[in-house]
Amino acid sequence: MAGKKVLVVDDEIHIVHVVAIKLRNNGFEVVTAANGAEAFELTCNEKPDIVVTDFQMPVMTGIELVEKIRQNEETKDIPVILLTARNFAIEDKQKEDLQICDCLSKPFSPKELLRSIQDVLYQRAVVQEN
Amino acid sequence: MKLGRNLYVIVTGLVAGILLLGGLAECIDSGIGVGSHFAGYAQKWVPVVLVCRVIGAVGVVWLGWYCLKLVGGITSVARLLKKELTAENTGSPEKRIKIENSVALVSSVVEKPAIINELSGAINDRLRRYADRNLALEKHLKDLQIQIQLSQRQKRNTEAIIYSIRDAVIVVDEFDRLLMANEAAAKLFNFDFRNSQHKPIGELIEAARSEFVDFLRQSRRGKVRHTRRELDFSRDGDSKTFDCIVSCVYDGSEQVCGVVAVLHDITREKGISQMKNDFVSHVSHELKTPLASITAYSEMLSDGEAEDEETRKEFYSVIQSQAQRLNRLIEDILNISRIESGLIKVDRKPVSLTILIEEQLQMIKGCAEEKDIRIVSQKPIVFDQVYADKDMLSQVIVNLLSNAVKYTPAGGTVRIETEVDETAGIARVSVTDTGVGIPEDEVKRVFDKFYRVGANKSCAKGTGLGLNLVKQIVEKVHSGRVFVTSKPGVGSTFGFELPLATAKTVEAV
Repeated sequence: MAGKKVLVVDDEIHIVHVVAIKLRNNGFEVVTAANGAEAFELTCNEKPDIVVTDFQMPVMTGIELVEKIRQNEETKDIPVILLTARNFAIEDKQKEDLQICDCLSKPFSPKELLRSIQDVLYQRAVVQEN
Repeated sequence: MKLGRNLYVIVTGLVAGILLLGGLAECIDSGIGVGSHFAGYAQKWVPVVLVCRVIGAVGVVWLGWYCLKLVGGITSVARLLKKELTAENTGSPEKRIKIENSVALVSSVVEKPAIINELSGAINDRLRRYADRNLALEKHLKDLQIQIQLSQRQKRNTEAIIYSIRDAVIVVDEFDRLLMANEAAAKLFNFDFRNSQHKPIGELIEAARSEFVDFLRQSRRGKVRHTRRELDFSRDGDSKTFDCIVSCVYDGSEQVCGVVAVLHDITREKGISQMKNDFVSHVSHELKTPLASITAYSEMLSDGEAEDEETRKEFYSVIQSQAQRLNRLIEDILNISRIESGLIKVDRKPVSLTILIEEQLQMIKGCAEEKDIRIVSQKPIVFDQVYADKDMLSQVIVNLLSNAVKYTPAGGTVRIETEVDETAGIARVSVTDTGVGIPEDEVKRVFDKFYRVGANKSCAKGTGLGLNLVKQIVEKVHSGRVFVTSKPGVGSTFGFELPLATAKTVEAV
């Protein structure tokens, strides 16, 4: 997993900061954004291997960001993990339709997030190999 | 009667005898010619013949008259009987006497008067029974009329009760025809309830509300005693929700003979329930956010992910600040809740607004300088004291100032002014910024709990509780007034008014 690029999106600067430290300490390259609009631009430009985004953000929400990512030909296959502080923020069907790989509730454990990112990237690698 | 009969027999015998004599005399007379056996006797029998014939004629006339009288008597009996049976005062004594007289006449010439007597007795008996039955029927009729009056009064009372009910009430029969409806139902479904009785309910209710008609029919067919459903109705863009309870009415043989529907407007309750749900959802989200930072940084520290002392200090600082943020949030929520429920402790004293403002300006100075925002405050005013809880008023001022700084772009200005209106006995504080402003349709909602202006969410973070707390403290606790004016792209003015701390105000409190 070393060298994989992760885009971390959250309007809470402390969250972005702690996640970035955790991922960098584990060999990931980290790019950050504070809202959905900024994140989509970075997604198109940086082509991260995975996007970790908060659900509720100003300007553009996490769901709106994922919808835009899926609609874009260049970014539609990038896996996404959603972070949310709201219970039942997203229904299973919507999660399936938007191909959201995992959904973690806040407060979350950085270790748990790291594990989730590693699992998603590993599965993606296996599928690509086959 | 016997005399009449005997007389009839005697007269009949006489007439017959005379006619016989006359006949004989005739025969003798016809045989008086020469050579006849009875010749020589003829002339003396002619007067006899004449007399006999006269008597015979009179007898016949009399007999005829008597027969007519008899027939007339029988006929009059029959007529009287017919009249009696069809008349109103059946069995009256006068009529009975008339019949008896006619019957007596008939009896006097009829061979077996006993039968006539029996007939008379039977007829009288029957008439007497008719009279008794008539009386009983009249009594029964009167009872029925009284019952009808009572029923009609009960019906009027029931209708009055139903018409006075605030909820919409509709009653239909087993064929879905309207039996009764009150004014609330007529207003809800837009029909004239006084002129709609016995009309099919499907014709009275518009297609847009047909869900209600279907519900009535389903309940009736299902024969369910009580069914409940929430129905949403919209008119002119105004949507309302009703809790509809439909109950089947059963007759003596347990068959459904009608349906009663009661619709209770629960729009307000639903709105409150939704607000409560939204509030819980908001609170949960706002509490979890700082908690997420505290959890994450704590785990990083315990896992040794902070490699140097500086990083560790940074982590501790974040944990501390987020814990304080969490605490403030909880305090705000609790304060609002206490204020709303009237449980908050208020420590009122005369407080100088100018001094209080100066203190709070020092607190936000740092944030304003970071954004290069100029803070302007007026010169101190004398006699600007209000009778208030100092801590609460400080909270109000700092909330207004921090909002102004948050939503003003870099390089802008925030001005705070105090005015005293001695005539009205109030002090007024205004905070004016050159910030992003608020759209007109959202201005009236800015003081709502958790409400944040959509377009401004990107400019700054917030819980949506600050202005609500300001409103609660100023209006509910201190009997003041908050106000706001705003223009998008130009800026906003937020402020409050409080009664001046005069002797009268202090006494009143």
